[in-house]
Amino acid sequence: MAKYAMILNYKNCINCKACEVACKEENGIELGAKAHRIWVGTYDIEGKYPLLSIPSSTFYPSQCQHCANAPCEEVCPTHATYYDKNGVVQIDAQKCILCSYCMVACPYDARYVDTRTMSVDKCNFCSDTRLARGLKTTACQATCPTKVRLFGDMDDPNSEVSHILRTKEHFTLKAGIGTEPRLFYIK
Amino acid sequence: MLNHLIPHKTITLRSVFDFEKTPFNLFMALTTLLLLAAFAAGFVHYLMHGHHAYGVTREHPWGLLIAMYIFFVVSSTGLCIISSLGHVFHIKSFEFIGKRAIFGAIITIVSGFAVIGLEIGHPVRMVIYNTLSPGFSSAIWGMGVLYSVYLFLIILEFIFLSRDDHKWSRIFGLGGLLVGIAAHSNLGAVFGFLIGRPMANGVFYPVYFILSAMITGCYLLFLMYGYKYKMVFNDEMQKFLMHLGRLLGLLIAILVFFEFWRFLTAIYGNFPERAETALHILGSFNFWVGEVLLGMAIPFVIILYSKAKALKAMIYASISGMIGIFFMRYDLVHDTLVYPMQTMKIKEYQLAPSWIEYMPTMTEWAVAFGGIGICLALYYVGENFFFLDPHQDDAYFQNYRDEE
Ligand code: SF4
Ligand code: SF4
Ligand code: SF4
Repeated sequence: MAKYAMILNYKNCINCKACEVACKEENGIELGAKAHRIWVGTYDIEGKYPLLSIPSSTFYPSQCQHCANAPCEEVCPTHATYYDKNGVVQIDAQKCILCSYCMVACPYDARYVDTRTMSVDKCNFCSDTRLARGLKTTACQATCPTKVRLFGDMDDPNSEVSHILRTKEHFTLKAGIGTEPRLFYIK
Repeated sequence: MLNHLIPHKTITLRSVFDFEKTPFNLFMALTTLLLLAAFAAGFVHYLMHGHHAYGVTREHPWGLLIAMYIFFVVSSTGLCIISSLGHVFHIKSFEFIGKRAIFGAIITIVSGFAVIGLEIGHPVRMVIYNTLSPGFSSAIWGMGVLYSVYLFLIILEFIFLSRDDHKWSRIFGLGGLLVGIAAHSNLGAVFGFLIGRPMANGVFYPVYFILSAMITGCYLLFLMYGYKYKMVFNDEMQKFLMHLGRLLGLLIAILVFFEFWRFLTAIYGNFPERAETALHILGSFNFWVGEVLLGMAIPFVIILYSKAKALKAMIYASISGMIGIFFMRYDLVHDTLVYPMQTMKIKEYQLAPSWIEYMPTMTEWAVAFGGIGICLALYYVGENFFFLDPHQDDAYFQNYRDEE
């Protein structure tokens, strides 16, 4: 039993997209822009040269937030979307009827249709690949050159994740709607 | 044998094709056949290409087929509610519509199921896992179960109505009405529950669905009776249609009132996402021409200025009304999804932030409008096979008497 979470030191991100590639490679995600579990968002830089806003030039890696109060789980008519024992939001492709309700309900646009299985798919913290092989990191974390990502167990008070959450200010996305994301961004 | 269960007419293959060959009837027959062919073509294309045949995307996962499904079930619930005014609540002038309206409710929901069956990726799996591992917190689960019970109840209601058993028809009628309202408001809640979509989230849709169902029911009854009596109405019909017109006028007025406050509260205070979405909707052709002009204004003005007496005009206006209702259903789906959920992925994969766009494919159009073909065909069969009117109004008996 664990409570898995990920911390993103997003200001270190250089938008190399190695994480996107590693995720596709590790988890056998379909090619093409539509099928992606994780992404790196960018803003247009604000201001006019030479008065450019430096903080606006930041990249925002993200993925499924593994909400503790997940709208996608709540709306699934067949329990194809469920919480596993580690608090990770999972999808049982065999039970998914492709009603797409979870895609409509997810406030983070984290889900897409895998056209090979014709079921909905999203990030599962490499549960059936790396974690199943006994590794302790996700593919995106392992590949990141600037150590933006940190995966770990919030229930273990001695984990690095717990330590950082205790000592560093952080925020979650769309906190106001009460989904309680497990993806934390360091301020 | 079947006659013991439900009284019906003797029907031969020849009698099916033996309708009065007026230009309008021929036009309707041709339209029905074309729409059925469209459905068949859409179905085959879907079987060959699966969901790839549809224009839905990651950002816009629901499209025309969901809208059309809602269109049909709204029609069904509406017909059920309006017909219950007669045989459940005993309002005199509505009493004779019972069978026709309930039959309409049955075939519209069946057509709706046909359309949604091609939208859900795995319909068989749905039946299995909706039963084996039901997601009770899911509004889609609730809606599916309630609509199935509803269909069962209104079929029984129709059977007992046809047998002139008014005790049981009333019991099943009341059951069908209550379950129908539960199912339909639940469908509204499918959208109302979406906490990530501020424009849809809240109490509006569950209530609005019942109201717009009643409006749809009125439009459809105007069309059904206008067609049936070829625009020539006896006193009883005139009285009924006038009452129906007044009821419709009141319901449209309530709808306008609802929409007014919906948009004002959505825009007021500039609440993030919601206000922008509301203004975006208010700037769209679909809303003003489709929903407001065709769906509300034209019928309302006719009712108001003729004091609900211009029956022929109302029947033409009901065509405009139904087109408006179609726009309302389409916009309901599109407006819910139109605001991008991008959070921080402002330019993921080089996508600049923008309103989400969606264009149905030919396959979607074919299946969606093919559903109307199914509905028309079933209606024609029902008209020739069952007794949809009280006996004295049924042309079938007329023909019998002539033969004798
Ligand atoms: S981010 Fe979306 S897909 Fe992931 S748990 Fe939350 S609601 Fe579900
Ligand atoms: S698409 Fe699949 S996972 Fe999503 S709500 Fe429907 S059945 Fe559940
Ligand atoms: S691998 Fe790391 S630095 Fe590169 S895009 Fe992903 S999060 Fe950013």
